[in-house]
Amino acid sequence: MLRFAPSELTDAELALQAEVREFLAVELPRGSFAPGLGMAGARDERFSRALAARGWLGMALPRRYGGAERGVVDRFIVVEELLRWGAPVRYHWVADRQSGPLILRYGSEAQRQRFLPAICRGEASFSIGMSEPEAGSDLAAVQTRAARASGGWSLTGTKLWTGGAHENDWCVVLCRTSEEDDRHRGLTQVILDLHAPGVSVRPIAYLDGSEFFNEVVLDRVFVADELVIGEVGSGWAQNTSELAYERSGPERWLSTYLVLEQYLREHGASDERAQAAIGEAVAGWWGIRTLSLSVARLLDAGQAPVAEAALVKELGTRFEQEVLDAIWQLVPDPPDPAAESLFERLLAAAILGAPSFTIRGGTNEILRTVAARALRA
Amino acid sequence: MSTAGALAVLRERGGDSAAESALLGAWLLAQAGLEGRDSDVTVAPGGARDSVVLREGRVSGTAHGVPWARDAARIALLIDGQVAVVERTAAAIEPREDLAGDAGDTVVFERAVARSAPGVDPEALLVRGALTRIALMAGALERACAIAIEHAGERHQFGRPIASFQAVQQHLVTIAQQAALAAVAADTTARDRGAFEIAAGKLLANRAALSAGRAAHQVMGARGTTREHPLGQLTRRLWVWRSQYGDEHYWSTRLGAAVARAGADSVYPAITAGSSILSV
Repeated sequence: MLRFAPSELTDAELALQAEVREFLAVELPRGSFAPGLGMAGARDERFSRALAARGWLGMALPRRYGGAERGVVDRFIVVEELLRWGAPVRYHWVADRQSGPLILRYGSEAQRQRFLPAICRGEASFSIGMSEPEAGSDLAAVQTRAARASGGWSLTGTKLWTGGAHENDWCVVLCRTSEEDDRHRGLTQVILDLHAPGVSVRPIAYLDGSEFFNEVVLDRVFVADELVIGEVGSGWAQNTSELAYERSGPERWLSTYLVLEQYLREHGASDERAQAAIGEAVAGWWGIRTLSLSVARLLDAGQAPVAEAALVKELGTRFEQEVLDAIWQLVPDPPDPAAESLFERLLAAAILGAPSFTIRGGTNEILRTVAARALRA
Repeated sequence: MSTAGALAVLRERGGDSAAESALLGAWLLAQAGLEGRDSDVTVAPGGARDSVVLREGRVSGTAHGVPWARDAARIALLIDGQVAVVERTAAAIEPREDLAGDAGDTVVFERAVARSAPGVDPEALLVRGALTRIALMAGALERACAIAIEHAGERHQFGRPIASFQAVQQHLVTIAQQAALAAVAADTTARDRGAFEIAAGKLLANRAALSAGRAAHQVMGARGTTREHPLGQLTRRLWVWRSQYGDEHYWSTRLGAAVARAGADSVYPAITAGSSILSV
């Protein structure tokens, strides 16, 4: 059995939580903006920079790179408050969560100096270039090729489901730099300039009609040697460690939180069905948050709780869907996506967004395999 | 025995009448100011079938499913906010077994002399009883989890361990997740015994008993369904404890009503701060 040690927030952590709550109440009062569902919040560079000014972007990064050296749990607290508030996190989301830590851990000194201060200032946005048409859960099947070119590499291939590629600055691309018998070798991560010649981005409409997903076609795109992350050929291991950050946070269990909160705000809960739905959900959040926070503590202790993170993400994303179903069942009619009621709009958005909860960042089927391997060990 | 110590005993050993007596019986008496440390008093958990009345210092009626009543020195009941304590010899015991084969006796009182005192809220007894059940359930789930994982690694079918099949892995992960939720509920409530944490913890433990119990049996196959195998003893107890001191409906509506009373703006603060800001 995997163990998760519950912990209380320290006084300093509680003070940070209070500070973030106060910041949001002043900077982004309820009713002044259209809240988003978890990490699907809007893109707002001004807001991201306001966070940066408080030291809340790249906050786990070292001070010499512009960070606050505050640790994973502190970031957990900030992110948790932003997401449950529905704040516009999209601009900085990937950079803050995973590109920054990845570059810190594996990047060259020049890369750290070039990218990390920009991430901490809210002036660099990133996409994730992992999936491809023939490489979904089986990521080692990536076919994007990097051929040697003078002073760097020439990339050709297609990346798929690349969120934000049409609006972000950079994309961390996993590509094949050599053919090896073991296909987990010969993979390399590079930082690709999304505005470089040869990059074409085609939007793919999501279920709700929004165009955040993209197909990114790379046609002999030049990437200089200094933008290779870590060792050429070691991309697989680096990519795997990146996933522990991607899989363990509050974004895996808060996507439908606001649906419930807004239901209560607009309808109250005088009948037992609504009370039961709310009680179940609150108990679930309390328990899953405890597990998720314990994973953050392990990351702070320098461990790589890949299996624990997989276990929590699998649980949390199904829970997000269950919360949605429970609230949805309290509503008699199909929700109107353009309703005046904010609750109704959030419900509609959640219904259309929910199928992705258990797919993005690793399907639940893959996560179960990862967790089950650790259970047997 | 300290409360935390007694909870640890329950979690480690499963049913333990001394620990339960200390946690529930002695506690109930102390709440009513009847006496301090009584080490041998069992508590009638109450239930829809019970019909007990307290009149002029005497208890009449029937209480069902009273754990270890046959062995206890005294039986405590909560009747309309009054705590009543009856000597076991003053009542008629019908030995009964609960779903798990444990002593859950029927106790018949006929104008049995009782010491009694007012002042205990039935909801407070449910909170206290749920605290004990969370500890018991977390321990049983941890053992059921270990049994399922070990079996899945050793049992071969189609030439390989069944743990290598994705469908079986799904069950193992469910068990591990649910056992982990019950474990953090037990850890947290042993330290901080607020009603919010206990309500949420009992709900999680109940859900875990249902889903992990089913998954563990599926992993074990036919042998887990027999009296010869230890899994069945664990799951049968889980199913008893699930019903005692608040089922899912009770705790979800009680918790949900408390959250609703506090209002939409307080939902998330309650999730993070629990009983320190919300009374359930």
